[in-house]
Amino acid sequence: MEGVATVTTRPSGELNVSGAPDAAGLLDLYGQMVLIRRCEERLGALFADGEVPGFIHLSIGQEAVSVGVMSALRRDDTIASTHRGHGHAIAKGLPLEGFFLELLARDEGLCRGRGGSMHVADTSVGMLGANGIVGAGLPIALGSALAHQQLGRDAVAVAFFGDGALAEGVVHECFNLARLWNLPLLFVCENNGWSEFLPSSKQIAFKLGELSAAFGLPHVAVDGNDVAAVAAAAADVVGKVRAGGPAVLECVTARMRGHFEGDAQKYRNPDEIARLAERDPVGIAARQLLKTGIDEAELTEVAETVERRVEAAVAAARGGRDPDFEAAKAGVYARAGGGHG
Amino acid sequence: MAASAIVMPKLGLTMTEGLLASWRVAPGDRVRNGDVLFVVETEKIATEIEAQGDGRIETIEVAAGATVPVGAVVATWSGGGAAAAVPEATPEAAPVASQPRSSGGERIVATPLARRLARDAGVPLATLVGGGPRGRIRARDVEAAIAARAAAPATSDAPAAGDRRAATGMEKTVARRMAQAKQTIPHFYVLAEADVTELLKLRDDLNAMEGLTRISINHLVMAAVGRAIVRMPEINVVWDEDAVVQLAGSDVGMAVDSGRGLFAPVVRDAGGRSLDALARDVDALVARARTGQLSGDDLAGGAIAVSNVGMHGASHLVPIINPGQSAILGVAAIKPVFRPDANAQPTLCREIGLVLACDHRVHNGVAAARFLDCVTGILQHPLSLLRG
Amino acid sequence: MPARGAVMAELRYLRAVNQALDDAMAADPSVVLFGEDVGEAGGSFGVTRGLRDRYGPGRVRDTPISEATIAGAAVGAALSGLKPVIEIMFMDFTTLVMDAMVNQAAKAHFMFGGQGSVPMVLRTPHGGGLGAGPQHSQCLEAWFAHVPGLKVVCPADPVSAYGLLRAAIDDPDPVIVVENKALYAMKVEAPERLEAIPIGKASIVRPGRDVSIVAYGAAVKTARDAAERLASDGVEAEVIDLRSLQPWDEAAVLASLSGTHRLVIVHEAVEAFGVGGEIAARMADIGFDELDGPIVRVGAPFMPVPFSRALESAYQPSVERVVAAVRRTLE
Repeated sequence: MEGVATVTTRPSGELNVSGAPDAAGLLDLYGQMVLIRRCEERLGALFADGEVPGFIHLSIGQEAVSVGVMSALRRDDTIASTHRGHGHAIAKGLPLEGFFLELLARDEGLCRGRGGSMHVADTSVGMLGANGIVGAGLPIALGSALAHQQLGRDAVAVAFFGDGALAEGVVHECFNLARLWNLPLLFVCENNGWSEFLPSSKQIAFKLGELSAAFGLPHVAVDGNDVAAVAAAAADVVGKVRAGGPAVLECVTARMRGHFEGDAQKYRNPDEIARLAERDPVGIAARQLLKTGIDEAELTEVAETVERRVEAAVAAARGGRDPDFEAAKAGVYARAGGGHG
Repeated sequence: MAASAIVMPKLGLTMTEGLLASWRVAPGDRVRNGDVLFVVETEKIATEIEAQGDGRIETIEVAAGATVPVGAVVATWSGGGAAAAVPEATPEAAPVASQPRSSGGERIVATPLARRLARDAGVPLATLVGGGPRGRIRARDVEAAIAARAAAPATSDAPAAGDRRAATGMEKTVARRMAQAKQTIPHFYVLAEADVTELLKLRDDLNAMEGLTRISINHLVMAAVGRAIVRMPEINVVWDEDAVVQLAGSDVGMAVDSGRGLFAPVVRDAGGRSLDALARDVDALVARARTGQLSGDDLAGGAIAVSNVGMHGASHLVPIINPGQSAILGVAAIKPVFRPDANAQPTLCREIGLVLACDHRVHNGVAAARFLDCVTGILQHPLSLLRG
Repeated sequence: MPARGAVMAELRYLRAVNQALDDAMAADPSVVLFGEDVGEAGGSFGVTRGLRDRYGPGRVRDTPISEATIAGAAVGAALSGLKPVIEIMFMDFTTLVMDAMVNQAAKAHFMFGGQGSVPMVLRTPHGGGLGAGPQHSQCLEAWFAHVPGLKVVCPADPVSAYGLLRAAIDDPDPVIVVENKALYAMKVEAPERLEAIPIGKASIVRPGRDVSIVAYGAAVKTARDAAERLASDGVEAEVIDLRSLQPWDEAAVLASLSGTHRLVIVHEAVEAFGVGGEIAARMADIGFDELDGPIVRVGAPFMPVPFSRALESAYQPSVERVVAAVRRTLE
């Protein structure tokens, strides 16, 4: 795999984990964020044009979490994602064409057009699936961590979830069990302040740090819109998880779009939306890069490279086939037999 | 006047349900005492149910083709009598099934397997009689029909050329019941010739006496069968839904061609009554049959019937058992024959051909032969008939 | 303890399950067990007794009382190289695992386009007769059989309990193994060899020509007893142990129906919207021309499982009800 995808398979430690990544590392992370951003903007347009069926949840504004955390993971580490999982998937290294083919419901898609946005998965890179059920990824990641531990692998599992999921019972079950079994499991809370259409302050009665402490889990909070800060924190905490047990990484971020594409966000203060641009993680990283001496032309080149890749993937996706119904029907079981259907 | 119920009448001691074969009236119709309201088919017979007074039909509650329990309300009427209402209707005695009718007639209830077997064998379902619940035709009913067909002489499947007319309801009923009897009752037959020389002499002597009912050979045969039942009560049994039912008394049925259809009224206590009383009963039943006045009780009971075609010259009659009975004696014409006497010299005799058809579910060959021998003995030595 | 696969004089259901787990763990190090009290306590019914000592606390794990996470973790573990066998202490508690089983385990292979699968087993006891009341007696297998992607088996005897569990553990798809807790004490003469029994294959446990009785789980014994009683009246019932509910062996049922032309289905679960309804509907379709009588179901009435013995004994399918059902098909 070429380009930004190579970052995801880079062994941890390549980045400067004791502080912010160096300029080259930051440019790499920046490139990935631009890729995710461009992919999702393109998906938003394709969705509006009716080319992407169903409904999609964009993670625009949260790219630094995906990119920062994944920069600390290896290919054999596993993640369980959420309904807002495009960023996780792309950062974990899913092939871009397969991703777009799936989102456009093509037979050549990663999931053969059977899953779509909320179920993109690529087990070959340890991406165990986005998920349509809030909180459902946590037990899956926990089970994956159990497998790593039991089979003697030094891989870690990461459960991504939003602050809205904190109200789900399995979060509490999983914190408890991860601690009891000392699993190599990192809980990453993308705290974007919203639980669908309500601010999380109206939904969650506790602080994640306090909850983590109650379970004896180390809790690290970081500015989730500063990719360098996320990468540094992730490198540190993933190393600890790999060596010795579960932890919680809370990334404070912002949801720049609605809960889903087409959400008019009437429930949201227009001033809040207007101020979101100041905290745009792509902009923050660009400013950091310019300060390190990287010039605008290089950033433009990154954007142009990304644009070509995305358009190539979209073109490929548009050329894909509709899936075959009989093949899909035959694909319910890994080993079919008996019965009818 | 408030509407009152017309219910499925009980047309015999063993009747529990009846098939409402057809309606002769519709809601709103004015009826007079004696008008036929509807036709009921039971295991034994189709019976026309008459109004028992004047009135008006209000509603029809049970569609033709449905089988309902005795006592179920089949219609309501406002009238001056009890209509056909024999017992009082009870709420739970509602129709058990109201079967839809297609425009072409009664819906045929048959199991899928029965339909397939019938289709494969080319047996029209409409010609079959179902032995299952609500007359459902089952595989075994079809198989019986196929077996019966195989046993019958080969005929062309093509319908006979000629003028066609729709069968009357009565004809259809008779056809169906006869087909059912032949298909579902395992018949076997024992044959005998009875020397009736003495019997004819007795008849002539009796008829020479003044003041007595005229006695026919048929009366004498009925009496002989009744007296044979008294001597062999074990023959007085019928098969009923996996049960063997022993009947009391010595009732004997007789086939009567009424001109409107075949009836089988039953003479009570044929074994115990005087010849004179018996003859009067027989004559009365025949008269009621020919005038359509038979009641349900006239048709109920009896394990054995007599079918006499002697006046038409046949040498033997091999009859079909009436549904609900277990035997029938076919009686043919009297014919003169030479028989060897004790010295092996030809002697002129008058003989009558008897065929006893029996239901093998309740009778065996030995019992049937003994019974026929008993009847033959009485006919040949008829003085015992004079004992009332 | 006898050597694996060796001759044993008798085989108890509970022991057969234990043996299947033992043999599977010995054969494949990726097989792990977890659930409430399966480790130190050996299972609340004693099914996993001795396994923790033999295979260690890593492969036989006690979980907290967190059914949703037990099942969800099994999905994640199965997607990551393990073959987890989890125990849900009573089938009534599977209400708490539904997201993991229905939305995750059942769908993963399909919705990920065939990438990987979820080779997990969920063992759970169902069934009444023990006075366990409305929340510890239910037979909810039809819920799972209704979900594409799940497989469901329900062994009726010790040999099937061993064979179906071995097959379930070997299977690449998620399998619900439903054990009737009233059968745990059941014993049979042990066969010479115990081996896996293919999922989706029924077994004719009693041949007969007059009527087919399809049953599974504890109802198989009820059906056999009914068949014995019917035989004394000259009615020869064929009894089919379905063994697998999803997929179920419709070919075997159809073949039997084609011989007898009459069908009765017996199960302990509530009759309405149940496994019997599915079988009846299917046979009314593909077996239509074979039917010579109504298809009759015998199951529990539409009410919760009651506590009192007086109530529960009337609630469960009885030999008398099966005999009466057979009589109806023979009318």
